[in-house]
Formats: sequence, structure tokens, C-alpha cells
Amino acid sequence: MSRPRIRWHIFVFLAPAVAIYTAVMIVPIVNTLRLALYTRVDQDRVFAGLDNFRTLFFDPLWAGHFWNALGNNFWFFLIHMLVQNPIGIALAAILSHPRLRFAALYRSAIFVPTILSFVIVGFAWKLILSPIWGIAPSMLDAVGLKSLFAPWLGREEYALTTLALISVWQFVGIPMMLIYAALLSIPDEILEAGEVDGITGMAAFWKIKLPLILPSIGIISILTFVGNFNAFDLIYASQGALAGPDFATDILGTFMYRTFFGFQLQLGDPHMGSAIASAMFAIILVGVCLYLYAIQSRMRRYQL
Amino acid sequence: MTALTLTHVSKSFGAVDVLKDISLSVEEGEFVVFVGPSGCGKSTLLRVIAGLEDATAGEVRIGGDLVNRTPPSKRGIAMVFQSYALYPHLNVRKNMTLALRQEGQPKEVIEERVANASRMLNLDPYLDRYPSELSGGQRQRVAIGRAIVRQPKLFLFDEPLSNLDAALRMNTRIEIANLHRQLSASMIYVTHDQTEAMTLADKIVVLRDGRVEQIGTPMELYNNPANQFVAGFLGSPSMNFFPAGLVNEGDARTMGIRPEDLFLSDTGPLGARVVHVEHLGGDTNVIADVQSHQITARLFGQHGIETGQALRLGFKPDKIYHFDAGGLPA
Amino acid sequence: MNKARTNPANTIAMHGALIAYTLIALFPVFVILVNSFKTRKAIFREPLALPDADSFSLSGYQTVLKQGDFFLYFQNSMIVTLASLFFILLFGAMAAYALSEYRFRGGKFLGLYLALGIMIPIRIGTVAILEMMVATGLVNTHWALILVYTAQGLPLAVFILTEFMRQVSDDLKNAGRIDGLSEYTIFFRLVLPLVRPAMATVAVFNMIPIWNDLWFPLILAPAEATKTLTLGSQVFIGQFVTDWNAVLSALSFAILPVLVLYVIFSRQLIRGITSGAVK
Repeated sequence: MSRPRIRWHIFVFLAPAVAIYTAVMIVPIVNTLRLALYTRVDQDRVFAGLDNFRTLFFDPLWAGHFWNALGNNFWFFLIHMLVQNPIGIALAAILSHPRLRFAALYRSAIFVPTILSFVIVGFAWKLILSPIWGIAPSMLDAVGLKSLFAPWLGREEYALTTLALISVWQFVGIPMMLIYAALLSIPDEILEAGEVDGITGMAAFWKIKLPLILPSIGIISILTFVGNFNAFDLIYASQGALAGPDFATDILGTFMYRTFFGFQLQLGDPHMGSAIASAMFAIILVGVCLYLYAIQSRMRRYQL
Repeated sequence: MTALTLTHVSKSFGAVDVLKDISLSVEEGEFVVFVGPSGCGKSTLLRVIAGLEDATAGEVRIGGDLVNRTPPSKRGIAMVFQSYALYPHLNVRKNMTLALRQEGQPKEVIEERVANASRMLNLDPYLDRYPSELSGGQRQRVAIGRAIVRQPKLFLFDEPLSNLDAALRMNTRIEIANLHRQLSASMIYVTHDQTEAMTLADKIVVLRDGRVEQIGTPMELYNNPANQFVAGFLGSPSMNFFPAGLVNEGDARTMGIRPEDLFLSDTGPLGARVVHVEHLGGDTNVIADVQSHQITARLFGQHGIETGQALRLGFKPDKIYHFDAGGLPA
Repeated sequence: MNKARTNPANTIAMHGALIAYTLIALFPVFVILVNSFKTRKAIFREPLALPDADSFSLSGYQTVLKQGDFFLYFQNSMIVTLASLFFILLFGAMAAYALSEYRFRGGKFLGLYLALGIMIPIRIGTVAILEMMVATGLVNTHWALILVYTAQGLPLAVFILTEFMRQVSDDLKNAGRIDGLSEYTIFFRLVLPLVRPAMATVAVFNMIPIWNDLWFPLILAPAEATKTLTLGSQVFIGQFVTDWNAVLSALSFAILPVLVLYVIFSRQLIRGITSGAVK
């Protein structure tokens, strides 16, 4: 028998994608993880082991900022899970109603914020919530709630939650669309079987639809998690790199940016920046693994 | 008492009339089959009875009660869907009990009914499995079981065998017939397959283009079709139609004769040239041209007939049908 | 309508909820666009009113056009987005074809390797990416952004396109082989046209995040000549915080092209998302 001929075309088809992906994504990520193990002493790169992480987690100069950013990040994520995803699911459930008119119109309109950039969204809300312009206070006034108004973005206790809600406003379209798609993929006959069995309205949602869209909810949760722990733009655009007031809105993304590039008096430090990036990597990896092993393996893949 | 009465039921989707003035009744314990070519409205009719669609006009009565405004679950019906429509996230037992629990039936009642249905359908080994772990035939039985436990006044079957392979279809057909005998419940069964209709039905309703063409027992329809459509639709291979002029000079009617009523006869009136022969072992189907009209003869037993051969076919005069230009008996 | 199954109160409640949320979703965009056409006084006095003959003003837009080179920014965004999409689609489709069509050693592993990037954000590698771009002299060029976005977009593109290419009939490809077509011809002539809807989905998915990204333009290409529209408007707005006309006009400038593209492509986008491409 002759040797199997080498199928060069496979190589040709794969090479560009694998090369760019490896060179611009994988190698830098690995390098960043590696850089986190070094430090700079007089212009030289010196291996420092886990010192950077020790500094990050325990050094009073760093640890406060790090844990603050991490805590904020979890709060940011929690708001998304508790507000964005339930609203998205509710909207999708309404939209998927078979005899609803104008569904396409609503769908497109609700998705508009998602296509806008963080910069636009951040500034637009900053203006709307600004006490100087007064749109928000005068609208609250119109419904007799003026006393509730506060310069939310400027107050430490509200700023982060406000930003999270702005982000929710922007991204609610994504869970809505994915859940909508999942709901549409439930065969009509199953819902009709439910109808014949007397399971209609809310009961149909809780007993039939919700269990069937659980896998999609899982995917949305992990997408939200990765997106939130990778967030930066909205906070940078509306609060600046210092993530004010007094770091109340600082999350890992902004913290890493400040550390890497330096800001005002602080000098940029690529090694500490890498250490923060590594921490983000670890968190995201843990999240993804939890999702893949715990949730995904337990969740029965229903065959529709 | 009648299990179901439809009076002048019509249904339109926008400008399209899917059901046109349908009136019929189903007696207690009767097995009624709705049959017709695809698009004839038979499934829509079933959905109107189930309450999944509203009738545009007319009355639907189940067990004597007017149910036009009653939601499906309160109509005393149970339905077996074409795709089975089992709840994918529930195991077999829960699939069968969901409706009962929704109704708030006591636990003992639920368990007893599931046990009975499960025994009847041989589902005991599968009660804890999920639908995705079952074969097509098993899923089919679960779907039937889900209907049985509700003890409905009326069973509705929407082409339940169409997703099964041929061998399984035959077995399940027999099972459904047995089930009907055991439960002696009223059943309505929709199919496009005339064999299923003939073998299962106490009464067949032939539908075409949203209209009832004929209602009767299988043999009534077979022996006395109301029109050319019914004559051609029931029976396999289907009835031959050709101008009666081929036999009687000047006769303008259409003549119909069933393939099984034709036989080889040297003096037969039909001179034919064989186009194709199907040797089935027990039967031989001969497809032949009589002048330019193709007819099929079903001959009992095995025959050494070859393509291209010329032969003469005869029939008994009392086996022939005549139809006028409008398809009505003449 | 089916009377036995729906009641009007329900329908009204559903429309009520949807209209309410639609207003919430569109209100900020509306406020920005409307006020960008008004005089400074009118912006503050009647923020919710439409511009009329008295309050109409384009002074904000004049400032924006004078002070910022928005057409250049727009052009930069276009170049970067289109080039990235081109490479993502071309290389992504090629890799997806290899993974879906051929069995070879390491194929499974390679698929997993490429899928890794779906979940891990490329931003983690920023420090090293910047070092690499500095070392290769690509900093402040379009190529820096194009390469990064291509690498970022490839994993999901390969994943989605592999799924779709598996559905292309084997018979069709084998018929091509028997007719003497090369593997490359089969790919470009037979397979690519058949997965065009999936390609459009991938394109729309990638377009929005690339166009809207702030992080990499800020880090890799902040020079005036390579600023993207997103970065440009961010910088511009930062400089003109107190000039409300200019800020609102700059925001509108940034919103309008995206909005126009969305109106054109929203069908495609929504069909793409709902086609179950992402599972």
C-alpha cells in the first residue's frame, strides 16, 4: 500500500485562522500570565514568582483597591443577574405570545440600546441624570416623586448600582433575544398538549416553558458573567479611569487599566497590570468551568 | 347518548374557508375516522373539536354540552398528537400525571390510573425514563397513556401513526383497536391513510376541501360510494375510471370498476396491452392500457403475464359503477 | 382570534408592558437626538420639546465639524470594521470547512482549541498585545486593531460556521469531487454560497462590538490619524463637557450611523440571533 498522500489543503484552510488566533490571542494571554510573575528592577525584568499576587492581595497599598474592585464587580454582576435577565425573560415571554401584534416592532425597538456604544450610552445617561440639565428631576416631578431624585452618578452609595442599571438598560436586548429564540423553538404541539391538559397562561410558563429554556438561561448567565468581569468601557466613558466618586465604581477592568497605564501620579506597571489580568482570567475561568461542569452536565438536554 | 355533535360548523382563516358547514355526530363508544387527502381540513376539524381552534360558525357539543366557549382542558377530551408532544423535561410518569395534578386529583386516584394505563400499554419498565430515552413506538404509547389517564369522554387522535415505520404502524393499529374495545370509549381518529380508516373505523367521515363527502361504515362506503371521489379514495389499489364508451358505444358516463373485480377472460369486453406487472406473491397487479386509458387489475394468485403482452379483461356487470360528469352516481 | 383561549385584558396588559419598556429603551436616544438640534437655551428650558423655528439650531454640529475630524474617525471605523469582518469571515469559514469536512489527527483538539476563545476575553492579554504591537511597530496603525478584532472574532465564527457547514449535503461535495473540482473550488464555489446566511449572521454579530469598542482603540491606536469614531467621540466629549450643544451633536453623530445600519440590518440581525445560531 502506498503512503497516504498529505492533504495540504487541510493545512491551507486552517493555517490563517490558527496562526492569527494563536499569535494575537493565545500567545499574548499566556504571555500576560507569564509577565505577572516578573517585576521590574532598574529597567530589568526580574522573575518574582508570586510576589505580584502577594502584593495585589495583601499589600495595604494595593489590596484595598483590588478587593474593592472585585467586590464592585460582583455587585455589578449580581444586578445584571437579578434585573437584566428576569426582565429579558419576561419581555421574551410576552413577545413570543403567538397572536401578539407588532411583535417585530417592539423587538427591534427594545434592541436599539444594545447596538449603541458604551460611550454614547454612558454620556447619554450622564446627561439625563445630571442635576444641571434636569431631565430626570423634572420627570420625577411630573409624577410627584421629585424628592426621590439624587445625583445618582455622583454619590458613592448609588453610583455603582446606577451604572449597573444603565448597563442593564443597554443589554437587556440580548437575553430577550436568546430567550425569545428558545421559546420559539418549543414545538407548538407541546404547548397545545399542555392546553388540552389544562396548563395554560402562567402555569404553562412555569411548568413547561421555563424548564425547557433552562439551558438558554444557563448560557445567558455565563455570557453575563464573562461580559461583566471583562467590563470597562461604560465606567471609563462615564466616570473616567479613576472610576469615581472615590473609586466607588471601580471594577477589575478599570483597575487593570489604571495600573497598566498609570494615572495622574501613579506610574504604569505592566507587571501588576498583568497580575490583575491573571486574576480576571482565573475568575472567568472558574466561572466558565463551574458552568460547564456543574450546570451543563446536570441540566438534562431535552430533545425537542 | 351522542358523544359529539357538530352542527353546521364552519372555520375560516381570513378569506380562506377551511371547513364548510360540517354536521355530524359521534355516538357513545363509537370509533370514528376522519379521512381525506392532505389539506382537506380533517386536522382543523379535530382541532376545532379539541378547542385549539374556534369555529367561525356552528355548534360543537360534547356529551350534550355546548362547548364553543369552553377551553380545551374543560371539554372532557384527551388528544394524542401527531408528534406525540411529550413534555421533554418530564419523565413518563410525570408526563402522564401532569394534567391530573393540575386538576388537583387526589394522589391515590392518580397512582391508580397511571398503574392501569401503564399495565394496559406495557409501559411499566419505562415510567422513570425521559421521552428522549424512548423509541418512537414507546413514545407513541406514552402519548396514548397520557390520554387514557384523564378518562376523557372523547379521545382525539391526530394522525398518530404517521411517524412510525410500516411494521410498527401495523402493530400499533391493532393495539389502538384493542384499546378501543377495552375502554369502549368514543374516539375520533384523523388519518390520510385509507387502510387505517377501513381497518379501525366503526364509521368513516370522508372529507374533501373542507366538506363532508360521505359518512358511513367502511363497507357502506366501499360498496355504495356517494360519488366518484369517495369511490376513488377508498380501496387499494384504487378504483379504475374510464369512459363508459369503451364498453358501450355512445355512453357518455364514466365507468368505475375496482381492480379486484377485473379478471382474465378471453371474451372479456376490455382489450388491454400490459404496461407493467407487479408480482406480490399472493396477488398479481397488472397495469395495462385500454386504448389510451391506464387501468389496474388485481388478480388473485400468481400469473405468468409479461410486459407488452395483449390480454382481455372481463368483469361482472353488478360490480361496475357509473358516474356522471359531476362525479355523482348515474 | 380564538375566544376560548385569549382574553382582551391580557392582550392589553401585554401591549402595555411592551410599550412601557419600548419607551424606556428609546427615550434616551430620543432626548439626545432631539436636543442636538436645539439652541442652548432651549435645551435647558424645554428638554423634551421638539425643535421648532425658534429653538432650532445647528451650532453644536458646527462646533463638532470644526473641532473634531469626525469624517476621518468615521472612515477609520469603517476601515477597521470592514477589514476585520472580511478576515473573520474568510479565515473563519476556511477553518470551519476544514474542521467540518475532513477527519484528521488532532482535528477535535484543534476545534476545542479554537473554541476556547469564545469564553475567554482577549482583553486579558492586553499587556502582552501592546508589547507585541510596539515591538512590531504596528501601534497606531489600522492593522493593530484589525489583527486583534480578527483574532477576537474567529473563535465564535469558526464555531457557528462549523455547525452550519456540517449541514451542507455530503452528496453535493462528493458530486463536485467526481466532477473533478479541487477542494478549494468546492469550498469557494459550492459550500460558501450555501452558508451565506450564516456568514451574514457572523458578520452582524461581530460588527457591533468592533464598531463600538473603546478599549483597544484607546490602547493600541489612540493617534489622531487612526482614532475610531467611538474613541473620537469619547475624547471629543471629554474636551467639550460644558458645551452642551457640541456634546449632544457629537453623540448624535455617533448614534446616527449605527442607527441607520441597524434599521437596514435589523431583520438580518434578529433572524441571526433567533435562528439558534448560538446554542
